[in-house]
Amino acid sequence: MAATDKPQALYAAAQPAKAKKMSLERSQQRWGWVFLSPWIIGFIAFTLIPMTASFIFTFTNLKLADPGATEFIGLDNYRKLFNDPDLKTSLWVTLRFAVVALPLSIVIPLSMATLLNAKNLWAKRLFRTLFYMPYMVPLISVIYIFNGFLNANTGWLNMFLDSAFGIKGPDWLFDPFWIYPALFIIGIWGTGNAMLTMLASMQTVPTELYEAARVDGADSLLIFRKITLPLISPVIFYNLVLSLIGLFRYFEIPYVIKRGTGDPGNATLFYNIHFFRTAFRFQDMGYGATLAWLIFLIAMIATVLVFASAKYWVFYAGDRD
Amino acid sequence: MSKRSLPFLLIVALVVASFVPLTTAQEPVTITWFVGLGAGGQPEQIEAQNAVVEAFNASHDDIELEIVIADNDVAYDTLSTLIASGDAPDIIGPVGIRGSNAYSGQWLDLQPIIDETGFDLSIWDQALVDFYRVEGEGLIGLPFGIFPSFLYFNRDLFDEAGLDYPPQAFGEPYADGDEWTIEKLAELGRLLTVDENGNDATSAEFDKDAIVQYGFVSQWHNDLRANATLFGAGNLVDEEGNAQIPEHWREAANWYYEGMWGDQPFMPNDPAAGSDLLAAGNPFSSGNVAMAYTHLWYTCCLGDAAESWDIGVLPSYNGTTTAKLHADTFRILAATEHPQEAFEVLTYLVTEAAPSLLQVYGGMPTDAAAQEAFFAGLDETYTQGVNWQVAVDSAQYPDNPSHEGNMPNFNKADERQAAFWSLLIGTEGLDVNAELDTLQADLQAIFDEVE
Amino acid sequence: MITLFTTLIVIGYLSPFAYMTVTSLKDKTQIVEGSILPQSPRTFVYEDEALPIYNVPVDGEMKQWALFKKGRESSQFIDPENPAAGPIEWQGRWRQLETAMEMDIRWGNFETAWTEIEFPRLLFNTLFIAVVGLIGTLLSSICVAYAFARFPIPAKNMLFLILVGTIVLPRQVTLVPTYAFFSQINWTGTWLPLIVPHFFANAYNVFLLRQFFRQLPRELDEAAMIDGAGPFRILISVIIPQSYPAIVAVALFHFVFAWNDYFEPLIYLLGKRDLLPISVGIQEFNFVYDQQPHLIQATAIMGLALPVILFFFSQRVFMRGIVVTGVDK
Repeated sequence: MAATDKPQALYAAAQPAKAKKMSLERSQQRWGWVFLSPWIIGFIAFTLIPMTASFIFTFTNLKLADPGATEFIGLDNYRKLFNDPDLKTSLWVTLRFAVVALPLSIVIPLSMATLLNAKNLWAKRLFRTLFYMPYMVPLISVIYIFNGFLNANTGWLNMFLDSAFGIKGPDWLFDPFWIYPALFIIGIWGTGNAMLTMLASMQTVPTELYEAARVDGADSLLIFRKITLPLISPVIFYNLVLSLIGLFRYFEIPYVIKRGTGDPGNATLFYNIHFFRTAFRFQDMGYGATLAWLIFLIAMIATVLVFASAKYWVFYAGDRD
Repeated sequence: MSKRSLPFLLIVALVVASFVPLTTAQEPVTITWFVGLGAGGQPEQIEAQNAVVEAFNASHDDIELEIVIADNDVAYDTLSTLIASGDAPDIIGPVGIRGSNAYSGQWLDLQPIIDETGFDLSIWDQALVDFYRVEGEGLIGLPFGIFPSFLYFNRDLFDEAGLDYPPQAFGEPYADGDEWTIEKLAELGRLLTVDENGNDATSAEFDKDAIVQYGFVSQWHNDLRANATLFGAGNLVDEEGNAQIPEHWREAANWYYEGMWGDQPFMPNDPAAGSDLLAAGNPFSSGNVAMAYTHLWYTCCLGDAAESWDIGVLPSYNGTTTAKLHADTFRILAATEHPQEAFEVLTYLVTEAAPSLLQVYGGMPTDAAAQEAFFAGLDETYTQGVNWQVAVDSAQYPDNPSHEGNMPNFNKADERQAAFWSLLIGTEGLDVNAELDTLQADLQAIFDEVE
Repeated sequence: MITLFTTLIVIGYLSPFAYMTVTSLKDKTQIVEGSILPQSPRTFVYEDEALPIYNVPVDGEMKQWALFKKGRESSQFIDPENPAAGPIEWQGRWRQLETAMEMDIRWGNFETAWTEIEFPRLLFNTLFIAVVGLIGTLLSSICVAYAFARFPIPAKNMLFLILVGTIVLPRQVTLVPTYAFFSQINWTGTWLPLIVPHFFANAYNVFLLRQFFRQLPRELDEAAMIDGAGPFRILISVIIPQSYPAIVAVALFHFVFAWNDYFEPLIYLLGKRDLLPISVGIQEFNFVYDQQPHLIQATAIMGLALPVILFFFSQRVFMRGIVVTGVDK
């Protein structure tokens, strides 16, 4: 590495010690901003302006189809939050769903990853590809698949339940209770990314640790709990954060599979469906934006809490600062 | 310091640049035609529309016509986004009354341009033109084509059951001499609904969990108003502007419910209609449904499965027959920057381009000569010999007020009454009358929001 | 043993995929008919019409007869061995009979889908958008992650939280202003809105890469610095070479994301049929009025081929790589 490439290094070397440290810090900071600048520029151009605009919307009665008639209406939209029955319903639906979906979003990929990491599994690459594959299927195709697969009368799942166990399968997509298991099934199908990150992380756990534990007579379950889990906890944390954010953004699947109506009986009136209906179907973008900022606030608080909880359960092997 | 502020300067420059409009004076004027609120997405329709655009551009130097096609699922959201972003298209269509209500107040009044250009409206019936005059909005469309509704039926399935076909003239009784009523339709429907063992719905051994053929479907009508209009026209808004459920619509809702969820069902409910057995949402085309109540535009989508269909008249209710009517056309958004040019395109679409467009949209031309050519064109596709006179006659029994008519707080009210319908077709054990009462109360609240 | 167990799970897990595959090999009639495999009844041509063959019990013997005229309680059949005899009346319900099925796979669906939506063009569009965006997101995300991982920027944690926060706000709410912005600079109707923003880093990728960079020991950086290497050189010759697996992972994630992104291409490429990627182009078979599920699935399977192959072969590089550690605070 040619030192002559970097004049500031030479320059720094010529300074007295204290000044050198100062200037090094300054120079480091400056370089930090340089490297950060793509994001900052992008953030301001593509995110901050639209975000600010959407925040301004919350003080207006903006109607998408009639933007010319927009007026400032003060805090009316915020007052509306307090007597919107659909808001309560949608928060409740989202929460109920999250209580099951969040653990599932960790446990299922974790189990799959454990399975695919098993020592004496053959054809690992093939299996990993097969498990990852559904993640790559385009949404529209997924919707067709599950509309057919989960159909109460002619769907494969109910045909299987009937012929294997003699059970008359439920009406997955039209029953206010069974729609949730149906959504879980569809969700699990797209869990490839989480599985993959966990699998990769498991592979970095040093084998000596396992061997040492076995010598000490620990059984597989104990090893999993005491060694594997703590060592991959950063990845679990990463997936937890993404799942949590994903739940607050949950929209596309219920939107397409139930045409955004919230059927059956408001069971799929997820928060973002409510927001979308308000802003686009009912063309009340002013209030819609208010709903969006409310969920943004809730999600940020939840995310910060999860980040704060990290120090109690996430184990950082490589942390030194 | 100066180095650190460089990124910020860049950002400021970028932001400023982004707000400087880059549009330069354009010659010729570009007019955008937005398709998606109604017909227009089928491959052969896309082809015909592209041909129209090409022909238009070849014959007009001053206007460049551009077509934008959005999938019906997302068309409303997309159009709203375009309008709100200041990027509104000029011409929308084909669009029905419902679509037009969703953007009510947004359409250009054509009368001033007509007065100015001296465009000759007398090529149409006065009454036809007046159909597009809306109080407070002016003349917001020009006559294009009409889409009457009637009863499609599958001859093979009637033959198999040894039943006579439905009547093909208004006022005519069914072959056995009975009056052609809703009850008679239901009776036939039950005989034409069959389980996997060949029992029909009236048989004691009938297994309603194993139906392989249905008697009747109200196809692609996904709200209360469209379906209930089979029992006669009605309105969810009374004269004082309050919410109401007309008595005959209440009866209609119960009739449909019984027909889907009762002991002798003869109509597919929502899960059944979405099953592969019924072509995942296009029931009549599967060949497993004997009769379908829908519009002339369904000639787009009968598929290969039913090659032996014909059409009959709708049954009467309390002595009156109502064949609800769609009258889709093209409209101009008031936000257009080039009303003159947009109007020129509009008149081109509803006159010169009309024959080729109506053919693919399945829209009946309004004058007799053009009708003949139109049906001859359909006969080329459907060679089994369809009795088109039924379609012509059905246009004489339109629903007034229209099932697509306006309501206060339209988008929300419309969504609510559609939600009632999806509840009805998707829920076993529903208390229909109680749900109708809830619907009325909810509609009232929705209407009151805009008082 | 474990392989067997995994195989069983894969069978269950991929059964929807099997449904997808067989759907892509049926025609519409076969989908309606509903047997699991793409089969059709064997037929017999009588008076120019192909009649389905049924197994008909006649006097205690199974005959394979072609159904000529259906009736509720009795039907007419043709004996293919003796068609000259004309229709035979048979008492009984034809619905209770079994059809004589044979495999009838519609490979032609792939050809139809390929030509009808001009698949090669869609493939090129998708690939172009994905690859250019991928280059952009790699360049920018690496830089930004490097900044977050290694430099003493004031309020770094706050900035990082803002970064993560940007993925929380529903994108539909910023859609209108974003669209207006792109429309204002005349970018709508081009690939620019789908590609350019990726040159300004993406929160998911930055998050992942930052975690990885922070795990790398600083000794190597410091050694390079003492040798006089500047930050760029350290990034290129120290950080990146140690991070290939993570970088390949980010590349793969972005590729799959761009491959299937639907909402943004839909709205920004409205009316530009020639520019559409596969995810939107496939919609041509989904017009509400006359869906073509078999063609949708055929297109989806063709679209899947490339990412699956890429995944299969890139595993070797990145399987040891997507390791995330050290989320501070």
